[in-house]
Amino acid sequence: MKRYLLYRAALLLPTIFGVLTLVFLLIHLIPGDPVDIMLGETASAADRQELRQVLGLNQPLLVQYRSFIINLLRGDLGQSLYERRSVTSIVRARYPATLELALCAMIAALVISFPLAVCAAVRRGSWTDRTTLTVSLLGLSMPNFWLGPLAMIIFSIQLGWLPVSGRGGPDHLVLPALTLGLGMAAILIRILRTNLLRVMSEDYVQTARAKGLSERSVWLKHALRNALLSLVTIVSLQFGGLLAGSLITETIFSWPGLGRMTVQAIEMRDYPLVQGCVLVISLSYVFLNFVTDIIYKWVDPRISYGN
Amino acid sequence: MPRSLYFFPAGFVFIFFVAACRPTHVDHPPGYLVAAIESYPLQLDPRYSTDANGVRIGNLIYNSLLRADPQSRLQPELAESLRLLDERTYDIELRRDVTFHNGQPLTAADVKFTYESILDPNNRSPKRGNLRPLRAVEQIGPYQLRFHLFAAHSPFIEQLTIGIVPVASAVNPTAPGQVPPGSGPFMLEAAESGEKITLTRNPHYWEESPPLSGVVFRTVPDALVRVLEFKKGNIDLMQNDIEPDMVPWLEKNIGADVGAYPGTTFQYIGINLMHPILKQVKVRRALAYAIDRESLVRHILKGTGTVAAGVLSPLNWAYEDNVEHWPYDPERAKQLLDEAGFPDPDGDGPLPRFRLSFKTTNIDLRQRIAEAIKEQLERVGIELDIRSYEWAAFYSDIKKGSFHLYSLAWVGILDPDILFQLFHSSSVPPAGDNRGRYANPELDRLLEAGRATTNHEVRRQIYARAQRILAEDLPYVPLWWWKNVVVKKSTVQNFIPYPDGEMISLKKARLATTVP
Repeated sequence: MKRYLLYRAALLLPTIFGVLTLVFLLIHLIPGDPVDIMLGETASAADRQELRQVLGLNQPLLVQYRSFIINLLRGDLGQSLYERRSVTSIVRARYPATLELALCAMIAALVISFPLAVCAAVRRGSWTDRTTLTVSLLGLSMPNFWLGPLAMIIFSIQLGWLPVSGRGGPDHLVLPALTLGLGMAAILIRILRTNLLRVMSEDYVQTARAKGLSERSVWLKHALRNALLSLVTIVSLQFGGLLAGSLITETIFSWPGLGRMTVQAIEMRDYPLVQGCVLVISLSYVFLNFVTDIIYKWVDPRISYGN
Repeated sequence: MPRSLYFFPAGFVFIFFVAACRPTHVDHPPGYLVAAIESYPLQLDPRYSTDANGVRIGNLIYNSLLRADPQSRLQPELAESLRLLDERTYDIELRRDVTFHNGQPLTAADVKFTYESILDPNNRSPKRGNLRPLRAVEQIGPYQLRFHLFAAHSPFIEQLTIGIVPVASAVNPTAPGQVPPGSGPFMLEAAESGEKITLTRNPHYWEESPPLSGVVFRTVPDALVRVLEFKKGNIDLMQNDIEPDMVPWLEKNIGADVGAYPGTTFQYIGINLMHPILKQVKVRRALAYAIDRESLVRHILKGTGTVAAGVLSPLNWAYEDNVEHWPYDPERAKQLLDEAGFPDPDGDGPLPRFRLSFKTTNIDLRQRIAEAIKEQLERVGIELDIRSYEWAAFYSDIKKGSFHLYSLAWVGILDPDILFQLFHSSSVPPAGDNRGRYANPELDRLLEAGRATTNHEVRRQIYARAQRILAEDLPYVPLWWWKNVVVKKSTVQNFIPYPDGEMISLKKARLATTVP
């Protein structure tokens, strides 16, 4: 296992490197010049040229790329062009908010989806199953930009139970986490239910029943565990997406996370900040991959990383 | 087992709610006014801030030599007196009773430092270009300064509105929210990245200490959520960034104190004059006749604009009303297009006279305006292809001259010399913002003369003539001047809206404990 993880780590380094190279090229090649945006309308051509020189933007792309990589290896992500602060400190200020929301949304999604999916699978075809599927279809169909304000109007304005937006105590987390979590729960319910039904028709489940095991044991020990494997993959992918920040939910709930900041940095062509955000997002994915591998092993002991 | 599981999610959501449901904590002491802003300021240091919120909040922290009043006239602030030795030399005497928030007195050395810091290319200040006419700042006494210009340049006086920071202020902040101390009515108390900026009253402010204990600027990016926060009572004041559709609703349903005040932000359609069709003045006039601006203002803007005749608004001292106006007249537009050699090929049929592209940003309201203009131009036989882009790509295209028509706004117009930047033939990008490549030797002469004299009356006459030429030639189709929409609780008193959206009057505002 240890050797496998080291091997994966070695493989992931080129992945991160590739992502950063791609983002570097894309952000530099799309139209839009940070110097124009920074200097505004009144600067002369000479001013623009001078600023390009100070920022090193007049250098050939390859030279800029080389200095970006060298600085990165030194642990220097550069300085935001507009905020004039180190990218590390800006990302460090925003990332906890993203992490907090992602974790809560994920927990909410799991806690909601898991029991509902099991219930629906166990009582396949019953009203329980049909209701669960209908609710999950609703969850899938409701976009966050609609669900968020609706939840605000009901729970914050009409009932006055929760704050409308912003980050603060646990009360501020409820609506954004549930808004994000419900959409994900809808997907998870459908996947877990289908997997459970597939597994229940397997021979070993019949064998377990034939042995005289209780229905609870059959479901929990034999069926559920085997159905979990693909769920782990989906959850890790979705969680990875959440760690990159959720633009719509962050905007609606005035949540000071990474997603909105990354989009703003792209709009302003704040090259160092975009690169810093992408680095953090790719590192999050890498970390999640590790965790997923460990969970695979725990869920299915047959999986061997020894070789 | 499954039955109990089924109630688990509901239980979880219930517990989640119950655990979280407690009175929302107020994270600022009483006496603080909460204002909602659409985006978090990128920069508060007056040497570098160019984003609207950065400048507006910065103006509450920093004082400048001069400051525009609610009628957009420059008035002394830190400057006790301003004297022109000649057209290239300004002598300034500073007030002696001003101290920075750290207690240090504000002297001529600080003013000299601030301007030189902007001029230093290594500091990458976006304001450096504005100070191009400035040759040197000379300190001639502890409170006396002399500004030397390279040549007479009357609009330079606008540059005396830059906030002053103390000598040796760091070029870059070393920690989030760390900015040099100012001398303004409020001091920076806290800056929470992406969330809010909290200012606290400067108890030693040289004018008089503000009645408010402080101001919290909360970032609420979504327009609907700003309104919901206001309804909930968490916000005391919002200025602009309000969807026009919501204005009547706010007035009717929340009983908010809503006001729309004349503003200087100018919305226009930019025209590429190198285009074979658009270079004909009759076509441009036909465009102006074909667009029903009254109807756009009434239906899309819900009255939050005033139909414009030119760049300078009636609030500007150089505004000239006696210019050509272009009322909605589609029949006259069709006639002009026929005369220009573009007859409608099939009368009222589907074929257009010609097709043009219309570039705009991807902001929802801008796209709705573009759709309405497209529909109006179709009525006279001009087909528009609307292309919306994110800001940087849009801006890059229009600077390159890669457009037929585009729509954009000019914000913060103070001196009529802006016309030089927009329409002088030497101002083609990257030198200026003559993006449509307009060239008129008579206008060039007028605009050169306008900046070279400091005689107010002469300038007024020059710019009046310039406005008449522009209204006839139409290098822009003027659309409207945006109004400043202020939504506030009735407890907020003494807040005076400024035409450019400045919030400096917060220094005199107060929060009444009972509604008057």
